[in-house]
Amino acid sequence: MEFPQDLRYSREHEWVRVEDGRARVGITDYAQDALGDVVFVQLPEAGADVAAAATCCEVESTKSVSEVYAPVSGTVVEVNDALEDAPEQINEDPYGDGWLFVIEMSNPAELDALLDAAAYEAFVSEP
Amino acid sequence: MTFAGEWLLIDDVDGTRSAAGQMAADLTLLDEVAGGAPPALRLYTWHAPALSLGRFQPDDDVDRAACDRLGVEVVRRPTGGRALLHGGDLTYAVVFRRPRGAAGSVDMLFRRLAAALVAGLAQLGVPACLGRGAGDVGPACFSAARGADLRVGDRKLCGSAQLQREGAVLQHGSVLCRRLPVDEADLLACTDDEARRSMRVALRHRTVTLEELGVPVEPEEVGAALISGFAQTLDVKWRSRVT
Repeated sequence: MEFPQDLRYSREHEWVRVEDGRARVGITDYAQDALGDVVFVQLPEAGADVAAAATCCEVESTKSVSEVYAPVSGTVVEVNDALEDAPEQINEDPYGDGWLFVIEMSNPAELDALLDAAAYEAFVSEP
Repeated sequence: MTFAGEWLLIDDVDGTRSAAGQMAADLTLLDEVAGGAPPALRLYTWHAPALSLGRFQPDDDVDRAACDRLGVEVVRRPTGGRALLHGGDLTYAVVFRRPRGAAGSVDMLFRRLAAALVAGLAQLGVPACLGRGAGDVGPACFSAARGADLRVGDRKLCGSAQLQREGAVLQHGSVLCRRLPVDEADLLACTDDEARRSMRVALRHRTVTLEELGVPVEPEEVGAALISGFAQTLDVKWRSRVT
């Protein structure tokens, strides 16, 4: 199970990579493992406003639909359209080609509420 | 992981909801559990044939004209999977808080609940087990027995699907009790009559009903067996709610 040091993590198992004031978002290695083989992703629309902790995306795996939450508030400025034809990228490369969307953050201070790698690893290791 | 404790038991076997109403009732239960209510098992039947589609299944999988002509309501499930014809089945819906850690994985949850369903079906004399075959993924749910499904031999008897939302899980599924005069092959879009015939043959070969197994098929009796299976396997104590 990977927990890259340069990312921030939500307790709902999303990761955030901050790039020039924007937040690139995906689901964690832990989450993709729990979901199993992803067969479909419904991404948010580019231009949509999202609120921290609100649902903005859905993932289907093995007849199970799971909601994905925005880890920070802002506007979706980019989505990973490649997942439409290759949703398995979420399983194969959750921190790379399996990214979901990019948010132009409206309140970057919300990043402070997210976990660092060590804290997230401890969180998912709790019994 | 433990499911042990007090659960709500909701008997809607004689329910009169529309197909959309059935889905709304399941979602209401999910929201209640997400808000802190205890887990629940709801059992229900369908007062008229209805075709449920998976959350993201394409609309054009369905032959709407055929559904209208045959009086079959089409409803979108909040859960995954493919199309399923209701009316000859007993449907169960289970809602609970998602356990932490590996116990909360999709696969593990399907397995734990399958054990309860298997135990219930065993009381009817049905030797069901969890399906692991990949099979072809066509538009009809019952044409492939996947990891979430129960089979008898190599034929599918019970299909299930999940929604995970706000830390809670809804899993619902259908136990095939008896066949209806129509099947999914009559209701799903097919390129031609040969494709429709092939789908019907596949459905017949890959599925089995309780009636064909020669065991009780009345929803009340099947439901009682499932209730017992859940209690026995998951150490559940029931609290009934009148709906």
